Amino acid sequence: MIATVLALFTTGMELSRFPRFLLMLPLCLSVAVIYKSTRMENMREVPTAAAILWVTIVLGMVAVGVGLWAVFSVMA
Amino acid sequence: MVPVPSESAESAAHPVLADPASLARVSAAGLLSWLVPGLGHLYIGDRTRGIVCMVTIVVTFWGGVAIGGVRATVDPHERTLWFFAQLCSGSNVGAAYLLRGDAPRASKEISSAQIAAWAGPWVSADIGVHYTGVAGLLNILVILDALGRAERMSIVTRRSSRDRPKGVT
Repeated sequence: MIATVLALFTTGMELSRFPRFLLMLPLCLSVAVIYKSTRMENMREVPTAAAILWVTIVLGMVAVGVGLWAVFSVMA
Repeated sequence: MVPVPSESAESAAHPVLADPASLARVSAAGLLSWLVPGLGHLYIGDRTRGIVCMVTIVVTFWGGVAIGGVRATVDPHERTLWFFAQLCSGSNVGAAYLLRGDAPRASKEISSAQIAAWAGPWVSADIGVHYTGVAGLLNILVILDALGRAERMSIVTRRSSRDRPKGVT
């Protein structure tokens, strides 16, 4: 049992192209939750504030990605 | 002639430094936050914030280790700067380093291809390194927040005990 659990952490996952990009979402969520937890005095306000920040980060990164893709497409 | 600040002026500027008990409390909050993310907040009584920080950072760190594999993710020789970022998450990186074990070294018997196979796929390793590194960097935020809150609490406690009328307990 313990060996099976440890094996999960020993070798990396094989990732295809699409899930690789989806892994950005939980990392951005962690950043949003920790940032808002340290900034807000009332912890009841954290879920909403973190969700708004998370959406903002993800949309910002998508916008930057689309912009860079457009620039490279024009230059190519 | 430069005026020398009096003891009371110095303690007003740095009230925590003037009180050994407050200084110990603030230092303990910072150290505990580094050792286990969120423990500093639990120590100063901020339970909800401590649990949220602990769960988020621990899940992010070990999620990264699960994605990239501990052999390629926690690597002080190949990814030195990221390792310093990971070190900020305290005991998590210690446990991961113990789990990793010693990496095989290139020799006549062991090729670099075999070492790469031991470490695992590089794409997931890169993502895992980002997860664990960001978890460590986020813990710096948590440590600074715990230090600030512990300091503010010490100042408030000190003021309320000073302002209390004599004879009132």
